[in-house]
Amino acid sequence: MATTPDLRLTRRGFLKAAAVAGTGALLGSLAPAAPAAARPAAADAPYDRSAYSVCDMCFNKCGLIARVRGDKVVKLDPNPKFLKSRGMLCGRGNAGLRQLYDPDRLRYPLLRQGERGEGKWKRISWDEALDLAAARMKEIGEKHTRCGMLFTAGSDMQSGFVHRLAEVYGSFNVTSHESLCLVSNNRGFLDTFGEVPFPDVLHSKYVVMAGANRFEALVTPDSMDLMAAMQGGLKLVVLDPRRTKTAGLAHEWHPIRPGTDMAFMLALAHVIVNEKLYDAVWMAEKAYGLEQLAAHVADKTPQWAEAECGIPAADIVRIARELAAAAPQAMVYPGRRSSDYENSTQIRRSFAIVNALLGNWDRPGGLLAARQVGLKGAFPYTAPWYDDNPFERADAGRAPIMFEEEGSFVHMREAVLSGEPYPVKGWFIYKTNPMQTAPDRQRTVRMMQAMDFVVCVDIAMSDTAWMADLVLPAPSYLERMDPASGLQGSSACACVVQRDPVVPALYESRPVFDIVKGLAQRLELGEFFDFTVDQYRAEQLKGLQDAARALASDGVYYNPSKVYGIYEGRAHKTKSQKIEIYNQRYAELGLDPLPVYAPPATAPERALRMVVGRNALVTHSSTQNNALLHELVPENTLWIHPIAAARLDIRPGDRVEVASPVGRGELAAQLTPDIREDTVYMLTGFGALSGGLSLVKGRGACLAELLESRADALTGNAAMHETFVTVKRAGAGKEARS
Amino acid sequence: MKTQLAMLVDSAKCIDCKACMLSCKVANAVPEGAWRNWIKPGSVQGRLHFQPGGCMHCENPTCVQACPTGATYKDPADGTVKIDRSLCIGCGNCIPACPYGARYRHPELKVADKCDFCAGRRAQGLQPACVDTCPTKARVFGDIADPGSEAGRLYRENQGRLVRVANARTDTKPNMFYLAATAPLDWPVEARMPSAMGLMAGATPLLRGLVGLTGLGVLAMLGRQLASGSTPDAEERKEDAHVD
Repeated sequence: MATTPDLRLTRRGFLKAAAVAGTGALLGSLAPAAPAAARPAAADAPYDRSAYSVCDMCFNKCGLIARVRGDKVVKLDPNPKFLKSRGMLCGRGNAGLRQLYDPDRLRYPLLRQGERGEGKWKRISWDEALDLAAARMKEIGEKHTRCGMLFTAGSDMQSGFVHRLAEVYGSFNVTSHESLCLVSNNRGFLDTFGEVPFPDVLHSKYVVMAGANRFEALVTPDSMDLMAAMQGGLKLVVLDPRRTKTAGLAHEWHPIRPGTDMAFMLALAHVIVNEKLYDAVWMAEKAYGLEQLAAHVADKTPQWAEAECGIPAADIVRIARELAAAAPQAMVYPGRRSSDYENSTQIRRSFAIVNALLGNWDRPGGLLAARQVGLKGAFPYTAPWYDDNPFERADAGRAPIMFEEEGSFVHMREAVLSGEPYPVKGWFIYKTNPMQTAPDRQRTVRMMQAMDFVVCVDIAMSDTAWMADLVLPAPSYLERMDPASGLQGSSACACVVQRDPVVPALYESRPVFDIVKGLAQRLELGEFFDFTVDQYRAEQLKGLQDAARALASDGVYYNPSKVYGIYEGRAHKTKSQKIEIYNQRYAELGLDPLPVYAPPATAPERALRMVVGRNALVTHSSTQNNALLHELVPENTLWIHPIAAARLDIRPGDRVEVASPVGRGELAAQLTPDIREDTVYMLTGFGALSGGLSLVKGRGACLAELLESRADALTGNAAMHETFVTVKRAGAGKEARS
Repeated sequence: MKTQLAMLVDSAKCIDCKACMLSCKVANAVPEGAWRNWIKPGSVQGRLHFQPGGCMHCENPTCVQACPTGATYKDPADGTVKIDRSLCIGCGNCIPACPYGARYRHPELKVADKCDFCAGRRAQGLQPACVDTCPTKARVFGDIADPGSEAGRLYRENQGRLVRVANARTDTKPNMFYLAATAPLDWPVEARMPSAMGLMAGATPLLRGLVGLTGLGVLAMLGRQLASGSTPDAEERKEDAHVD
């Protein structure tokens, strides 16, 4: 089915209309629309038609309804039937049509002419572009083996096709955004519970949120459910060196000393174990390693933790008791982005262990297992074997428990720069922007310079595209057909979504599926892409009766699979087949089987720790150039405490120079008591280099430029809170302040 | 009670994500630099609090009093304050006359503009854009006189807790009701009325003439107000942010 449904809107409400639509009344357009060529309709004129789609302004994939007048998308509304998002569309979601109609969009294939990053381009045809890319990929494969190509795809419903190309082309070297984000969190929870859980915030009564910022870093349904549960009595305790909006709205905010979360968690465990506040029967049946934990945390007293993390011992004791009293409807929120410290996997293990003590696994208000969605793999294949290939990924061995399919961007970059263990000389990048999202931008520039060929597929000229050899324009999410995607929304739903084009693709843009298919055909790998997206989707949905109909009528299919009690009679995927408080595999590998606390590095004199954070109007580095969002967040500022600022003679409104061992930047200071005196913060994604980002080129400072290239010891996840910076008034030293 | 479209806001639910502002901006093609709605930061019992707002479609709208042509009027059919763009001369009198800063002058259309509770969307059976999109469903819209509506139910069940945010010297009796404690409360300003209008409305001393008025405009405005039966009653003044 290639067309999108028209939804009748009636005066009796869209909900009703959508319900009717389900019975087959999806007919025709709404109003006798003026021809597209006529004067643009007034803002309050009726919409001509409506079509379901799925948002792509961040990774959440919220269901939406696109409203169309003539041939133009004029409004994006939430799909009220989409339970995962609780029927909402956030600010970025609402700004999505600006991505579609952004004058800065890439329009046709561009080939680099001058030096890398110089911004000289030549327009070429698609045939020339694909012929060139395929020839270069072939050349690199022959010269350096197929593993000489690196493939990096962002979070997208078509990214699976890029991975398919990587595999059949023959490279193990695939990275994504995840090793700049959450792999250490996933590792910590996976190695405790045997899978990465979904927090059932809605039914919880007590949540300790350490580092996560759910009212700004929106995750569906957690963000909405957190507020709904708070209205119903949930207590929220936030640990964060910044008073984020989440911290400000919480019942308690503890401005924890950065890098000491594990001390707090071990002390919670100490109290719960010592006071026997856990469910002994449940623990005996479900968990392994309670005795070892008891010994491990015997000296991790709340007084000890207070000295480390700065949170009063009495509060730690009270929070431990309150958590235990609310258990199992209580949790330490797992969070997502854990690219913070060099021991982030073990920090997250300590979060997971407290959850184990609360007995909240697989129960309402606790941590939930993945539910069955039921999508099938489509067009299975056996990738060709390449005899000359090396045995492993280029970043293998640089971290002991790296995820094989993700690797580590930071370590991969080192492999490329050193040429060890083997040369990686080509890079296929789809819709991800490591120039802005990976720490140490200058190192990424050098990585680019070490490459013989870089092709970047994106919607706009990101900083990464700006450094490439060949730039290929992709359509936005509102212009393309995407395969089905399975999503779990915690206890809300296990569902399937898909996309059909709301409007035809603009300019010469082509979906990445067409690009990888075109390359595969030129590389004699066409047989692995011998299908259309439509056919692919039909295969995916084959096992789900009713899914196609539900997707057409509601924009979403729900699998009524079991939510709680999934693990009754089921073993955990751990060595003991139980929840592993004490991880036996870690012990075998010579890693700490229980998380061992090490104090964070102390700041050099006059230096401040930089922390990374999110804002509800910004997604990484992909939304800053969106004019609608730009109006609200035109550039980043440096959050600095007034006392720290006074010491540095920085006053409100001053521009400051921020310097780290690897880079510098200049931006406006924002004096605020909402951050600790020893910490500073600025938003990601500003200070762009690309001449194709007219609103943010050179605007604000680039965080990636300042952050040092550090990584979690166990997974290679980037460690982006390990950088200390100095701050001074811009121009200070040249002129005295009058 | 006759039909009164209104908004009931549980501001304790607001997370300041600004989805309402962007949804409104897109739905109503509000130009860059202008907004029809807002979120104001405040504090309740030491915790951060955010207060969504927009045109309050007041019982005693000072903007209606300030309009020389009758372009701005209170519609008796649904209680909303409307702008008839064909009558608006773009004089700008209504802008300082609104204590809430809810109005702006549209730079291209050269008329006053503000929230109309998304009349165009409602005509299609859709919710106002800000209400529809809100992640935490902090905003509820509807006819507070209709006991069957969600808005009517909330209005009825929360009697004694509803808060109207207003300035003590210009209490326009907003139809924007906050459920229980909200903040900030001290931001609405005293309406600045054009002098001729001020005299006519019988209000206390006001700033002198911002714009000269034509007799025709005055007549048109009077006519509109008489027809709608919503002549403001300057006697009814209550405390700032009082509880209804």
